[in-house]
Amino acid sequence: MPLKDGGMLKPCLIVIPAYNEEEHIADVLMEVMGINLPADILVVNDGSADRTSAISKQAGVMVLDLPFNIGYGGAIQTGFRFATEFGYELVVTLDGDGQHSPSSVNSLLETMEREKADVVIGSRFIEGSYRMGVFRKTGVWLFSRIAFFYTGTKFSDPTSGFQLFNRKVFSYLSEGDNYPLDYPDVNIIIAIHKMRFKMVEAPVKMKEKQGKSMHQGLRPVIYVIRMFLSIIVVLLRKEKKQP
Amino acid sequence: MTFSVRLFIFLFGLILFSTVFELVRRRKFREELSLCWLFIGLSLILSSFADRLIDPLAFKLGINYPPALAFIIIFLLFVIVMLYFSISVSDLKSENKELSQKIALMEYKLTRLQKEKEDIAPKGVDYE
Repeated sequence: MPLKDGGMLKPCLIVIPAYNEEEHIADVLMEVMGINLPADILVVNDGSADRTSAISKQAGVMVLDLPFNIGYGGAIQTGFRFATEFGYELVVTLDGDGQHSPSSVNSLLETMEREKADVVIGSRFIEGSYRMGVFRKTGVWLFSRIAFFYTGTKFSDPTSGFQLFNRKVFSYLSEGDNYPLDYPDVNIIIAIHKMRFKMVEAPVKMKEKQGKSMHQGLRPVIYVIRMFLSIIVVLLRKEKKQP
Repeated sequence: MTFSVRLFIFLFGLILFSTVFELVRRRKFREELSLCWLFIGLSLILSSFADRLIDPLAFKLGINYPPALAFIIIFLLFVIVMLYFSISVSDLKSENKELSQKIALMEYKLTRLQKEKEDIAPKGVDYE
């Protein structure tokens, strides 16, 4: 089906969830388009109140406008639904705040090809260093241990949103409540492992976050508690068998 | 229970019941959601007459002040109602997400179709 101004679909879709990102989105899109990947770009505007959607449309990429804010996970799942419906083979998720370096997409693609994996998680810790607060560091370490305990595979960056999925996985995650509305984390790693999909890590570059973080005040504590609940629920939930 | 406590519970139950009933009558409150509140209102009205039941039950449970038992029952009923509404909100949130995702996808397809139609139609030809 022709989608992009008469052009045909490319096999890979880069999904960029964006909420009030008018300051960063133009730079992110320019950077993504600059690396000349054989991929289409989809911005999922998560009910932004600013010019995120207009700027993205001006840049010539595909834009989905959610009528109101449904959360990071909900926006990503919208991208999965789009990719499932329009027959894409691969989906890369990339944050709209410019934190993820698009040049690392190749590293994800190469790793998937080499390892014959279904999911590749971009890790900022495999190569180079990344500064973060003590609480976040502890959270990443804790979730990493939980992921290792359950899957037997070491995930150095389980909170990373820079990921690559093949069609089998993203079409499964696009259904109903298979993907969380807010922040997908180690709970998704466990859910994917439970479905017997192969998951590996690949090195990626990430810029250190500027400005306000979501991990402030009491939020990190609530986040960790919620994540523990989510992990328990994922472990106890009966998943539908994959086709 | 003393008369004043019974009167207070009775009046509160009556006001709650009639307010909820009136809201349903004016179609400002959906019937299926109002059932919980109507049940609580009715329970409050009936409990004000149930001192023969509540007083001995309270003493049997070791509660020396029987109105305390009535308030515990009311509190538990409110907890059940809150749980029911939390489940409803959770369902609504899931449905909301589904709807918003479908709207976004349909809007995208519609825009593309309109654009394709404009591209196909020769300029300057009036189809009317």
